[in-house]
Amino acid sequence: MPEIRDLLDNRLKVLLSCLLGSLLLLLAGLYYCQIYQGDKYVRLAYNNRLRLIRFTAPRGEIFDRNGVPLAVNETTFSIMGYPLDLNTPEKLAKFSEVLVRHGIPMTIPQLERIVKQQRQAPYRVMRLVPNLTMPQMADLVADTDFPRELFPLSVWRRTYPAGAMAANVLGYVAEISEEELKANAENGYLGGDLIGKAGIERSYEERLRGEAGEEAIEVDARGRRVRTLDSYSATKGEDLRLTLDMGFQKRAGELLKDYRGALVAMDVRTGAILALASSPTYDNNPLAWGVSGQEWNRIAGDPARPMMDRAISGIYPPASTFKAFMSVAALEEDVISSSTSFFCGGALRVANRSFRCWKHSGHGAENVLSALQHSCDVFFYQVGLKMGIDRLIKWGRKFQLGEPTGVDLPGEQPGIIAGPEWKRKRFRQSWYQGDTVNYSIGQGYVLMTPLQIARVYAAIANGGKLVTPHLCVLNYREPEDLHLTPEKLALVQRGLEYVVSRGTGARAGRFGVAVAGKTGTAQNAHGADHALFVGYAPAEAPQYVSVAVIEGGKHGSSVASPLVGELLAHMLSHSAGEDQEKMVTEDGNITKPDEDVSKAHR
Amino acid sequence: MEAPRISFFKEDVASLDRLMAGCVLALVLWGIFCIYSAGAGSLGQGGDLAFRQTLWMLLSCLALAAVLAAGHNRLLDAAYLIYGLTLLLLLFTPLLAPRVKGAQSWIPIAGFRFQPSEFAKISLILMMSKFLSRYPPLTFKAFLAGLGVMAVPVLLVLLQPDAGSALVYVVIALGMLLAAGAPLRYLFGIIGTGAALLPFVILFGLKEYQRMRLLVFIDPMRDPLGAGYNVIQSRIAVGSGGFWGKGFMMGMQSKLRFLPEPHTDFIFSVCSEEFGFIGDGLLLILFAILFCRIIGAGARSRDRRCKILTAGVAVWIWFQMFESVGMSIGLMPVTGLPLPFLSYGGSALLSLFIALGLVESIYIENSKFRSVVHVLS
Repeated sequence: MPEIRDLLDNRLKVLLSCLLGSLLLLLAGLYYCQIYQGDKYVRLAYNNRLRLIRFTAPRGEIFDRNGVPLAVNETTFSIMGYPLDLNTPEKLAKFSEVLVRHGIPMTIPQLERIVKQQRQAPYRVMRLVPNLTMPQMADLVADTDFPRELFPLSVWRRTYPAGAMAANVLGYVAEISEEELKANAENGYLGGDLIGKAGIERSYEERLRGEAGEEAIEVDARGRRVRTLDSYSATKGEDLRLTLDMGFQKRAGELLKDYRGALVAMDVRTGAILALASSPTYDNNPLAWGVSGQEWNRIAGDPARPMMDRAISGIYPPASTFKAFMSVAALEEDVISSSTSFFCGGALRVANRSFRCWKHSGHGAENVLSALQHSCDVFFYQVGLKMGIDRLIKWGRKFQLGEPTGVDLPGEQPGIIAGPEWKRKRFRQSWYQGDTVNYSIGQGYVLMTPLQIARVYAAIANGGKLVTPHLCVLNYREPEDLHLTPEKLALVQRGLEYVVSRGTGARAGRFGVAVAGKTGTAQNAHGADHALFVGYAPAEAPQYVSVAVIEGGKHGSSVASPLVGELLAHMLSHSAGEDQEKMVTEDGNITKPDEDVSKAHR
Repeated sequence: MEAPRISFFKEDVASLDRLMAGCVLALVLWGIFCIYSAGAGSLGQGGDLAFRQTLWMLLSCLALAAVLAAGHNRLLDAAYLIYGLTLLLLLFTPLLAPRVKGAQSWIPIAGFRFQPSEFAKISLILMMSKFLSRYPPLTFKAFLAGLGVMAVPVLLVLLQPDAGSALVYVVIALGMLLAAGAPLRYLFGIIGTGAALLPFVILFGLKEYQRMRLLVFIDPMRDPLGAGYNVIQSRIAVGSGGFWGKGFMMGMQSKLRFLPEPHTDFIFSVCSEEFGFIGDGLLLILFAILFCRIIGAGARSRDRRCKILTAGVAVWIWFQMFESVGMSIGLMPVTGLPLPFLSYGGSALLSLFIALGLVESIYIENSKFRSVVHVLS
């Protein structure tokens, strides 16, 4: 078909002419832009006076369950300026001199570092000096040497009214670091922005931060505003209401003051955390305002590690508190029944090794009830041996030991529930029966955080539902039913009541509230034994569960149990507002769990 | 017809269109200089970007050689298969690709990011050349079938969503239909229909930011902080270049980061600011020579498929160039299409070189054919 080929050749010519014609059009456009209007654009480029000012959004505020403010914003002033106006050492020196004259010690290298860190673009404003009060600012601006290009901007500053009392829960905000800037490049952070560094401030950063506003202004040659071109106002972050009760948190902190450890209280049905104290603690206010490197090192380098939240990051052997879990597992696996009894002669010989009971003279014949009551080690050694390590670990997994509880705080430790496979990999050793024996009293390759212990006991108290601990209802998860047999669970519950009413945990019951719980004394290779107590109250209709872990506290019965008893008693007598109406009515009726859930959602 | 050879003989290289190759290399090297300059601002990664682009250029040359070795005939024969595989790849891209700036168009392979929509342009060109030569779009039915070939990849990239690539596919297909001899009334009819539907697309089909880009095209001061900012700053950059330009590495607009994405979308603004009207003119001349040589290769060929193919390649390069240059002086709305050969981007460069490999292969075949004819006569 030659005519078609001719048509095609013809079309190719047309196409080429169109393409070349369009290039002439572009050339004309470039001529207009670069030559005809060239001078105008040269002037515009020279005077590129577009400036962008960023207003940080007020951060969402944080309140406790009763509306007590825990993290609020306070207005302060910052001195702002543009990189173009601070690009020579003379300008910096002059500015530094003015600052020093008014009692603000800012050296030239410090200012240089600030400029370097925040420099984004020459038209983007930087924060040079933060956290000035109104009088300071007025004083500075009145100075005739104060550079006119710089200007004050009112900003908010984060303060934590509760300070050290809830620092481990709230965490703190601080200026975003370079690594965080890189990691969050897509979320619109800029140098100089504040970001949650720890605690709730960090885990709910997305909600709390809000949206920064921006203003585009045209300035004159001296950097003063000529007109506003465009602006977006900042949007405040969302406020958060925590499940924490500041009254309970304060009491927990006071009880724990003289010790090193953690004291936690949680609602047994929803997993709402009401108190989460860790000792020693730190004041988060200075951190939010920006501390010197020296001050930071003093806090972060303290060997007592005040910034570690022991309630979620401290891992301890659960010791005898593990026995309630052992009892549940053994009863469910039908390894023992309510009538099974073992003889405790003060020690048990397993493979040429003698494992002693804490009571060297022995307890005599013990069944599960009395063994819990007396915390008889030999009984549980026998239970552990009969059940075997595999079934034990299976139950550990069922209770989600060895994994984070999912609490809405950063830095949670998963703990360890390690079996033969782990031991083989880690130490290249096989599993001995002695390991199982140790396991059955919560020693050896099992480590838990105080919050994990509380979670296990909450499940025992609430009829076998594994809750997700949370500090904000946003993190509420439907409890997971473990399908435990009610009669068997009731037996363990009775055992735990006996512990307090007539056993090792008697000191927890001296505060006018019926507590059920378990003591524990964890062997510590590095010093004095850790003291543990976990309990829930009221024993007949459990409301709250509480755990105390005291590092080096020696005996769970004497040191840890009164803390839990007193905190639970305080909580039950001070349950505030709506909680009180719903809690225990005159005749002792308890609200149904589903009502409680709806409350949690509100 | 002589069977295509796999071996890559010396005489093949000797009969390469050296003028075309020279233009392309000049453009890419110029681009590398501009990328170096654009990245040297407070990004401080000019050297790194320029080095990567150089590596991509070398890799692209290898790809071009591979295409020459395979020959355009083989690739045209396999066009249906290549087209089918490309459609599958485009279909799965949203599943494999991480979301970057709202679109899922990149697949990471061995540290490099790979953009299937770029390579789809080649398979679209191959497919349409073969299809339009087999079924010339002289009747309305055949014309619609040709449009259908283009519509499938367009819909797939719109899903990513990558409206820029979709636009390029449409323009390539229209150009190829024109070259394949489609009656002009069909072409004007389809363009007219598109123009009539435009208001509806703008109102209902576009995302908010895309609508904004069109609005600031009309009036940049509408949103000087956001979408309009790029247009204003780019125009200032180009205009302030003047006749002679500010000189290499002397462009303030890009160094001070007034220009967004200076090494990709706005590379022409960087180039204009530093090399001025004289540099831009030279750049346009290089492109003009390139278009002449590409279409010239098609005109010399006796194979209808090859004629249509070269038209497709030329229209592809032209459209992206026209859009990118036009955008930087405010003649065209911002779409974020890279400037061929100059913008930083490995997938784009590689696919352009593969397309040029096809054109060179057509050129070589014809010069061989001619020399044979010459010897015989």
